[in-house]
Amino acid sequence: MNSVHRIVEARAAELAALQSFLTEFWAAAALPVDVRYPFELALEEIFVNIVSYATDPAHPGLVTLTLNSDATTVQMTISDDSTPFDPLSRDAPDTTLDLDSRGIGGLGIHLIRTMMDEVSYRLSDGQNHLTMTKQLL
Amino acid sequence: MNTTIETLDSATIVKATGRLDFEASASFQKELEQAIANAAARKAAVAINCEGIEYVSSAGLRVFLVAARAAKSAAIGFGVCSLTAGVKEVFDISGFGRIIDVFPDQAAALAKFSTPA
Repeated sequence: MNSVHRIVEARAAELAALQSFLTEFWAAAALPVDVRYPFELALEEIFVNIVSYATDPAHPGLVTLTLNSDATTVQMTISDDSTPFDPLSRDAPDTTLDLDSRGIGGLGIHLIRTMMDEVSYRLSDGQNHLTMTKQLL
Repeated sequence: MNTTIETLDSATIVKATGRLDFEASASFQKELEQAIANAAARKAAVAINCEGIEYVSSAGLRVFLVAARAAKSAAIGFGVCSLTAGVKEVFDISGFGRIIDVFPDQAAALAKFSTPA
């Protein structure tokens, strides 16, 4: 079982640090590269959301990225101490609209829910925790 | 993201390489807007060759959406080709294949755009 975590401020410039952290974890745990896409995507989509909804940009909160893996499963949890919000409460976007009517609102979380095997939200200790799991086989 | 632009008779090919993420999307959008304006001036289509794009997030999808609308209002053809596996999955889940022409390769895109509509 590999388990690591990293804490950064909720500022857009910190995304690169978390992306490197994810890539390094992937290599260190010798995980298959073709399973990495949904995790990179989820990290970007969720982190960008947290930063964009920050109530006071002068005093960013903290975001914790936790990564776990064993022989059969990879799990990622993104925790933040901003306003309680369950991203899974959003309705799925209508992906059948025509070119003029389409937007990208809600598309990020829709991609995550589809590409991951399991996604769950929990509010505890005043923090949002979004946990995503994918089986390796 | 690295972008190269190739101007052919029937179409402008925009070849992009790298990650189309939140950070890269604004500058790529500007380059596409320019390419579409230039192509529209000579009534040519625009095809984005995505064989070098290994990653697209929703911010990147938005760039394709904005570009497709710009091409539509300029009344020129627009499409993407040569999607890598992960990017194709993102297109499929998003339903973008319904609103943007997706071609298996550049030859297929050119065949479409060189045929008068």
